[in-house]
Amino acid sequence: MSDAARRRLHPAAALVAAAGLLVITALASILWGARPAGLVDTVLALGGHGEEHLQQVLAARRPRTLLGAAVGAALAASGVVVQGLTRNPLGEPGLLGITAGASASVVTATAVLGLAGAAGTVAAALPGALAAAILVLVLGRPARSDSVVPLILAGAVVTAVLGAYVQAMILTRPDVFDSYRFWAVGSLAGASFSTAATVAPVLLAGLLIAVVLTPGLNTLALGDEVAVSLGAPVRMIRIGGVLAATLLAAGATAAAGPIAFVGLAVPHLVRALVGADHRIQLPVSLLLGAALLLAADVLARVVARPEELMVGVVTAFVGAPFLLLAVRRGRVVA
Amino acid sequence: MRSRLVLVVLLAAILVAALATLAAGRLGVGPADLLDAARGQASTRTLFVLERLRGPRLLVAVGVGAAFGIAGSLFQTVTRNPLGSPDVIGLGAGAGAGMAMTTLLAPGSVPAPVGAVLGAGAAIALVHLSTGLGFASPARVIITGIGVSAMALALTQYVVAVALRDASSQLAGYLVGSLNSRGPEHVATIALALLLLCPLVALLAHDLRQMDLGDQLADALGARAVRTRSLAILLAVLLSAAAVSVSGPISFVALAAPHIARRVLAAPGPHLTASALVGALMMVLADLLVQQEGPLENLPVGVITAAVGGVYLGYLLIHAWRRADA
Amino acid sequence: MPDVGTDRAAGRWGEDSSLALRAVEVGYGERMVLQGLDLEVPRGRFTAVIGPNGCGKSTMLRTVARTLRPRAGEVLLDGRPLGSWRSREIARRIALLPQDPVVPEGITVRALVARGRHPHRSALRPRGPGDDEAISRALHATEVDDLAELPVAGLSGGQRQRVWIAMILAQDTEYVLLDEPTSFLDAAHQIDVLRLCQEMRAEGRTVLAVLHDLDQAARTADHLVVMRGGRIVASGAPGEVLDEELVRDVFSLRSRIIVDPVHGTPMVIPLSRDRGASA
Repeated sequence: MSDAARRRLHPAAALVAAAGLLVITALASILWGARPAGLVDTVLALGGHGEEHLQQVLAARRPRTLLGAAVGAALAASGVVVQGLTRNPLGEPGLLGITAGASASVVTATAVLGLAGAAGTVAAALPGALAAAILVLVLGRPARSDSVVPLILAGAVVTAVLGAYVQAMILTRPDVFDSYRFWAVGSLAGASFSTAATVAPVLLAGLLIAVVLTPGLNTLALGDEVAVSLGAPVRMIRIGGVLAATLLAAGATAAAGPIAFVGLAVPHLVRALVGADHRIQLPVSLLLGAALLLAADVLARVVARPEELMVGVVTAFVGAPFLLLAVRRGRVVA
Repeated sequence: MRSRLVLVVLLAAILVAALATLAAGRLGVGPADLLDAARGQASTRTLFVLERLRGPRLLVAVGVGAAFGIAGSLFQTVTRNPLGSPDVIGLGAGAGAGMAMTTLLAPGSVPAPVGAVLGAGAAIALVHLSTGLGFASPARVIITGIGVSAMALALTQYVVAVALRDASSQLAGYLVGSLNSRGPEHVATIALALLLLCPLVALLAHDLRQMDLGDQLADALGARAVRTRSLAILLAVLLSAAAVSVSGPISFVALAAPHIARRVLAAPGPHLTASALVGALMMVLADLLVQQEGPLENLPVGVITAAVGGVYLGYLLIHAWRRADA
Repeated sequence: MPDVGTDRAAGRWGEDSSLALRAVEVGYGERMVLQGLDLEVPRGRFTAVIGPNGCGKSTMLRTVARTLRPRAGEVLLDGRPLGSWRSREIARRIALLPQDPVVPEGITVRALVARGRHPHRSALRPRGPGDDEAISRALHATEVDDLAELPVAGLSGGQRQRVWIAMILAQDTEYVLLDEPTSFLDAAHQIDVLRLCQEMRAEGRTVLAVLHDLDQAARTADHLVVMRGGRIVASGAPGEVLDEELVRDVFSLRSRIIVDPVHGTPMVIPLSRDRGASA
């Protein structure tokens, strides 16, 4: 066994560790926040006694924690699928314009159709996310090399264009701004159980497709030609993968706005821990993604007390250096 | 010679577009009024429109367009990638973040151009540090640039949305560029930047032209690839920062202008002058559009350039994709 | 024979020119590729550098052309270390054609050959009187005159390689370094390229080429430099250097060496892989 293989965690151990991390961050997310309070008071309030205002704050934190976990898991899973599809370690829904596409179509639908409410947002996010995903995947096919650059550039360009478009809409249509506040940076503020309930079907559908695809993604990692000669339905896997990644990312973006780098960082970390087998990558990424997003959200709430930072700002600040580090260590073929 | 003809045509087009910008609409200043002004017999209305409303705006458009065009050409040449443009890899975002931060931390005491240069400089320094190879690998520059751009954008959005709530409409200008209410001081800034930096770019052009042969061959021909790349990036940073400080980040001029110049001239090479002229033309045309009455009126210019530039870019990429498949 | 090359070179480029490596060590990161290399490049000759994959042949060439900097030791041009020369001055004396050069998009043959004149020009003097003549001569010597206005990208591999050599010729240097100029070419075009190398030598230039084919090297070069593991293990005329023991030690190849019946140079007949030698 090579050194690298020896250092890897057994899948069960990784799952347990990630689950444990999730529990810890979920607790942290409930107990800490923009409003400082002593531990005793908090526990009392959780039990329904003590200061009423604190009880309300804690009541708001519960759906926020749930949604944060769901969004983090979905983005991480989307990243796993995109990286498997494109064989590009830098693939992720934020970098590839999928989240920007979701925002753009939500903004368009709100402006043109006057949509409001969570259900409408989710439905509106899907076509844009799908269109952006297809556009970037098509535009970013590298001409001859193994370079990761063409895909990333295509994603950056599409994100920039859609971002400018969204800006324009916001500036000319204030009503759009009012009904969709998350056009620029994702945030978990004001999360409600109903939001979570609305996006849940979309997220679950995407997750289901992703789970079914995991053996196919393993085969795809060997290269298209080898995969075909092994009898894998490459085209179906690709279509299914795009669908899964888009559903997951669009649902997450509809619920919380564009949040970048979760889909990039989590699969990297998971691969370093448990290897590239998608059947293990996916569940561990779900747990770790949820944990990391919750951690980022706690940070967002605590760092700028009594104000709140947007969780998308924190992930950009923490995740982007992750990308820079990966490049610097030469982990990507550039 | 084809290239000379193309440059003359571009110059003429800019002139025509400029005249159209001045003459359009209710407050238009037509050629007859301009002639009067040249003879020193301008009416007060003409003077007002020229000096306060449209004149500075037009000059800023030309200057900023030229600066972005040159910066884009410099960057695309040294990254050997037609998408490796300063606005995609962080300079625009960095400059915007720099301006937002100086407004937050030192309002009034630090002028916007300084903030922009500091921000753009910080962004490019971060890129240099993060690649692990300095600027020696164009691909790494691109990827880290995208990462740095994301960070800068997040920072700007934070400042705009949270810290400066009251002034947010003004500061939205840090996120998307606009030519509204530009005055003589803006003209002076961009003119000065061009005056200082263009001669330096011209001196670098000689070695820059060999960069498309790859670093090894460029070095073997005496063009000092890494040094040339570093200097080109430095000049591009200064040009972009100056432009962003005057107009805010305007996307896609730096990306599309060199492309169009290469198309029209049908030859390889940086085509710095042509990129500058195409950039200026794009800005003037975009400005012409947003000054017309109608749905586009008073939109920030950056939105138009993003929309048109984006479509053009999509066409380019599809074209390249088809060619790669062939 | 020994003095003809030097005389020809001296006649054209002057008496005092020389190119040598002294104790040169080059590495990437932690990996040392060249270990203490000493070489006096024979003036006016065609020298072929041969050796197994990864022995440092390309690295040596690039170090001589100053595209790589040595960690220790020096490359001496006319007795002075390369570091003391300006880049453009070096480019006027030494030309390097790398292994897989990049063709700029849309460039024509004439424009690419003209790029070779770069070190003779400057920002303030973009075109000089000798340029057109040098370009025409180069196009003619490589027989690509009638392709001059065509885009390089549309040419065949053999034609393209001749265009690259034309660019090197237009650079008009005394020392010409070629990194595997015959790779990826079919047999007929390989002969073309080797013939061009010999013509360059006949003009008084000093040619240093990395070749992967032992027989080609033996047949066409005046001087062989054999490398292994980042060091030079043998140097001299092909007939003196190539013997079965060397081939076994350096290339892990059991062979029989005969005299080429047509050219009279050594010809290596491979027998089998030698498992005894260290990898």
